[in-house]
Amino acid sequence: MKTLLRSQELTCPSCVAKIEKALKSLDGVQEAKVHFNTGRIEVEHDVQDASDEDLVKAVRSAGYEAHVSAF
Amino acid sequence: MQKIRIWLSNPRERRKGMVILSGALILGGLAAGQFFNLQGLRSLLMTLAAVTAGWDIALRAWNGLRTRYISIELLVTIAASGALLIGEYWEAAAVTFLFILGAYLEARTLSQTRKVLQQLLELAPSTAIVLRDGRQVEVMPHEVQHAETVLVKPGAKVPVDGQVIEGRSAIDESAITGEPMPEVKVQGSSVFAGTINQNGLLHVRATGVGADTTLARIIRRVEEAQEEKAPTQRFIERFSRWYTPAIIGLSGLVFLLTRDVELSLTLLVIGCPGALVISTPVSVVAGIGRAAKSGILIKGGEYLENAGKISAIALDKTGTLTQGKPRLTDVIVLESAALSLPAAVRGSNSLLKEKLAPRAEWTEEQQDLLWWAAIAEAGSEHPLAVPILDAAEPLTQKDPLPTADEFEAFTGKGVRAHCQGSEILVGSQTFMAEMEVLLGEAVLERLARLKEDGKTAVVVARDGMATGVLGISDPMRSAAPQVIERLRKMGIERIAMLTGDDPTTANAIAREAGIEEVYAGLLPEEKLDVIRQLQDQGHVVAMTGDGINDAPALAAADIGVAMGAAGTDIAIETADIALMADDLNKIPEAIHISKATLKNIRQNVAIALATVSALLIGVLLGEVHMAGGMLVHEASVLVVILNGMRLLRA
Repeated sequence: MKTLLRSQELTCPSCVAKIEKALKSLDGVQEAKVHFNTGRIEVEHDVQDASDEDLVKAVRSAGYEAHVSAF
Repeated sequence: MQKIRIWLSNPRERRKGMVILSGALILGGLAAGQFFNLQGLRSLLMTLAAVTAGWDIALRAWNGLRTRYISIELLVTIAASGALLIGEYWEAAAVTFLFILGAYLEARTLSQTRKVLQQLLELAPSTAIVLRDGRQVEVMPHEVQHAETVLVKPGAKVPVDGQVIEGRSAIDESAITGEPMPEVKVQGSSVFAGTINQNGLLHVRATGVGADTTLARIIRRVEEAQEEKAPTQRFIERFSRWYTPAIIGLSGLVFLLTRDVELSLTLLVIGCPGALVISTPVSVVAGIGRAAKSGILIKGGEYLENAGKISAIALDKTGTLTQGKPRLTDVIVLESAALSLPAAVRGSNSLLKEKLAPRAEWTEEQQDLLWWAAIAEAGSEHPLAVPILDAAEPLTQKDPLPTADEFEAFTGKGVRAHCQGSEILVGSQTFMAEMEVLLGEAVLERLARLKEDGKTAVVVARDGMATGVLGISDPMRSAAPQVIERLRKMGIERIAMLTGDDPTTANAIAREAGIEEVYAGLLPEEKLDVIRQLQDQGHVVAMTGDGINDAPALAAADIGVAMGAAGTDIAIETADIALMADDLNKIPEAIHISKATLKNIRQNVAIALATVSALLIGVLLGEVHMAGGMLVHEASVLVVILNGMRLLRA
C-alpha cells in the first residue's frame, strides 16, 4: 500500500537521497520517493513487514522528523 | 529518562535542544575566557559545544556518505573536526553552532512557504451527513457513496462534489475559485467539496467523493507543480553534485600548496552551496502557492518561468473576452419567394418582416424559422447551436423536433441537414455563397447591421433559398477593457484576438475591448498558425481559451491558459495555467505572479553567487575566518528564503 509522510525539515536537496535510502533499506518497503520542494514523502510498502511507525522511525534515523499524512 | 529518550528520538526537538545547549556552552566558554581568564575551561566548554552541535551534523553527513552523496554536512564536519585537531576550539564551536542554528531557522521559515498547501489540506472537510433510509447518518467524507444525498447545514463545509437537488443557499467558494463573493446555489447548481455553506440547508447529490473531488485535484496539482523542478533548479542541482566534491578537492589542494590548515578548512565552510541550491525551489514553491490562493493553478516551475517571459498573448473571443453565453436576440424572417425579384420593385421595407421580441412573443413565421434552424442545429456541437436550440425549446416542448435524415457539419462554417424532404442550411454568409444560395442586397444589409453591433449573424436557407437571418449576441465581459489595459502596462507587446467569427462582428467586440490586432474567420487549425507566426517572430506566446475549438492552439502556445476551470477536470489536469474562476482579471494576475517569481529566482541566484564569491575573495585575502564565514553563509541562506517568502504577498 501507499503511505504519505510529510516533513517540514528538508532544507537542502541532499536530504532527499538520505531519506530515500533509509526507507528503501527497510524490509517490506518497495519504493520511496522524497519530494524536496514540498517535503512530501511517498512510500510504497507492505504493512505486514513495515508499519507506518517503522517508516517514521526510519526517517528519524536519517535525522529528520516526519509524520503520516492522509493527503 | 523515558521522556529524554522520546525527546532525543524526535530529530526536530533534539536539534532545538542542541542549539540551545551548544549556545549556552559557547557563552559559558566565552565568559570563562573573558572574565576569569580560565583558558583551559574555555577550551573544554567550546569543545563540548562543538561536539553537541556537531553530533547531529556528523550523523547526517555519515548518512549522506552511505548513499554516496557528498553533502554540505560533510564539509562542515570535516571543517569542525579539523579545527578541533589544530586547537581552534572557538572556531569549531562557532561553525557548528551557526550551522545548526541556521538549519533550524531555515526549516521554520521554509515551512512558511509551504504553508499555502497546508491551508488547502486543512480545507478538507472532516465529516459528512448523508441521508440513508430517511435518517441522517454522520460518516467520513470519503465514505459517502456515489449519488447518495448529502445534507449540508448552514455554516458547514460541503463534504463532497455534487449537485444541489433541494434548497437554496449562498456558498463561499473562495477556497476553490479565489473569489471572495459567495455564490448563490439553487437546485441544479454544482457545489465543491471544501467550500463553506453560509445560510441555507442544502440537499446535495454526491457526484465526486474523496480523491475524486475538485479540491483533491487542486491539492494534487499544486503539489505536483511545486515538486516539478524548474529548469534553473535542475541546472543548479546538477551543478552542486560536482561542486561540493570540488570544494573538498580545492581545499586539499590549497593545503598542499600553502600548508595553511586554517585557510583550507575555511574554504570548506564558505564553499557550501546552501543558498544556491535553495534559491530556485523556495521561489517556485512560494510563487505557485501564492497563485493557488487566488485560484490560479500553475502546472510547475517550468511553466512559471515561461509565463514570466510572456511577450505576446492571444485571446479567444468567445468565452474569454465575451461572457461565453450567447443568446439569440434577432429572428428575421425573409419572404424568400420574393427574393428573386429586384428589391427596387418590391420596395425594401415590405421585403423584410422583422421584430425584436422576447421569445414568447415571436410570431408564427419566426417560430417556423426557428423550428427549421433547430432541426439542423440539433446534431451540431458548435457553440452557436446552443442559443438556437435554447430559443427553440418552448416550441419543441409541445411538439418534439423530428430527427434529420442526414446531417453534415462544415467546421467553422455551418451545417447541412435533410429532413422531411427538405434540405436545410444554417451557416455564415460565406457558407451560403459556397452552397450557392443567393442573398439579396437587403439581406446583406441586414447581415452587415447585425455584425456591426458585434452580433454573430447566421443565415437559414431551405431548399436553396434564404428564408431568414438569426442574430446571436454574446456580450463582452465588462472587465475586458481594463484587463487589456493592464496587460499592455505589464509589457505584453502583442495582444491579439482570435476568433472563428466574422471580421465585422469580431472588430466590433475588439474595438470595445481596446484590442487592435484581430484575426477573424479562423478555422481551429488557423488559430494554431497565428500562434506559430507569433512564436516565429520571437515571442513567448500565451493563449487563453476554453472550448474544444481552442485545444490545438492552447497546446501549441508556450503557455496555455484555461479559464473557468473549476468543475472541468480536464482543464485542471492539462492546462499550463488553469484559472479556477471564470474571471478575466485572473489573467494579468497570473502573469504578474509569474513575472514576480521569475524575478525572485534571479535575485536569489544573484544573492547566492555574490555571497560565495565575496567570501571566497575574503578568504583568499585572509580577511574572512571560519566563524565569520559561516555566519555570512547562513545569513545568505536566510536572506534567500525570506526573499522567496515575499512572493506570498505579491
